[in-house]
Amino acid sequence: MNEVNANASAADVRGASDLAVRMEGVNKWYGEFHALKNIELSVKRGERIVICGPSGSGKSTLIRCINQLETIKTGRIVVDGHDLTAGGRNVDIVRQETGMVFQQFNLFPHMTVLENCTLAPMKVRGVSKAEADKTARKFLERVRIPEQAEKYPAQLSGGQQQRVAIARALCMNPKIMLFDEPTSALDPEMVKEVLDTMIDLAKEGMTMLCVTHEMGFARQVADRVIFMDRGEILEMGTPDEFFANPKNDRLKTFLGQIS
Amino acid sequence: MLIRPFGWNEFWIIVMAAQWTIALSAIAFAGGGIGGLFIALARVSDSKWPRLLATGFIRIFQGTPLLMQLFLVFFGMNIMGFAINPWLAAAVALTLHASAFLGEIWRGCIEAVPPGQREAATALGLRYYNRMRYILLPQASRIAVAPTVGFLVQLIKGTSLAAIIGFTELTRQGQIINNATFSPFMVFGTVAAVYFVLCWPLSVLARRMETRFSRATAR
Repeated sequence: MNEVNANASAADVRGASDLAVRMEGVNKWYGEFHALKNIELSVKRGERIVICGPSGSGKSTLIRCINQLETIKTGRIVVDGHDLTAGGRNVDIVRQETGMVFQQFNLFPHMTVLENCTLAPMKVRGVSKAEADKTARKFLERVRIPEQAEKYPAQLSGGQQQRVAIARALCMNPKIMLFDEPTSALDPEMVKEVLDTMIDLAKEGMTMLCVTHEMGFARQVADRVIFMDRGEILEMGTPDEFFANPKNDRLKTFLGQIS
Repeated sequence: MLIRPFGWNEFWIIVMAAQWTIALSAIAFAGGGIGGLFIALARVSDSKWPRLLATGFIRIFQGTPLLMQLFLVFFGMNIMGFAINPWLAAAVALTLHASAFLGEIWRGCIEAVPPGQREAATALGLRYYNRMRYILLPQASRIAVAPTVGFLVQLIKGTSLAAIIGFTELTRQGQIINNATFSPFMVFGTVAAVYFVLCWPLSVLARRMETRFSRATAR
């Protein structure tokens, strides 16, 4: 990691201090399909970003590039001062420092809730079992399901599973949280409990990038809202200007459709 | 040569020969289990060369008859100057055969685990070894039980080909007794019945385990 940083320019090191994520000229293709087009995005520490757009617009792909679940073709992504394009060790560090919550929860079905939360801290961070258990119970308490620790994921409701998924990510003590449509697979009555958990997290100052269609959440929590379509960022602004005064025609149509 | 009748004595000689069929099956299954795990892991590897090598290995063994594999190991090794007895040749050939087939079966099982599991493990910072050991293989092994036992049944029946290179197991013992008694219907009827007694309970077991695991995962 030291060697890699030594190669980075002085500007990178200074920039690293207040930027959580920086994407420069990022392009990605799936075969012929241009999934991300010249993405330029800087996210400050503690900033909450909501990304919206029609399906297939590239919003999930964008946040999946941040922990390199997807690789990019051209451009540069720097997360917390670690340049992902340099590959190798940096990718491991970035994955440890970013937590991710998925649309389909992706809890490990053969493990209890507690085991789901303690596996990565023990195997990746080398934390002792006792300490990992303690941390896990603390975060399960925070997402308000401490009593479910010994159960298996399939015994929980969707909302509870998603809260476990958030706790599991938090157990790694991440600096950045990525949410990929965390409420889209939930029954309507469970959306609120998950959003409330995310709002709590935002209040604590976590850096968050959320792909979501929950515009109420965006208004309440986001520092900036981004609209994407066909792989491009078409509009970006504070919730007030974004919702009250959208400039892009496709965004106007999109807002008209979802509200 | 005197022709003797097929009696209890002959019956028991055939039944006792099943121990060699069982021994050969057990060795091939154990060896194939280890080999198959490596083949399966190589097939789902992130890097290209292990993947290509494992694919080539599987294609060769799936695309040629087991009998040719036995011949090639038995005669090939002898021609190359390694004196090899039928026992060892059969064990080596069946182990390679089982490695290829189990490798391919288990690759399918690993890939049948939903992709989100791998993504979630990766996003948590778990690397290849831990992802495999704690997330993918435990889930894949539940899926794998039934097809694996199913393959074991195929393997037991496949050991009968070792008779042709002169390894005295169930089938070969049957041939020997038949040469002495000329009662092919009784002799090979007995041989077939012994194979059935070995294989049928395994098929039942495979079905039971399948329902048990599907109940466990639906918990």
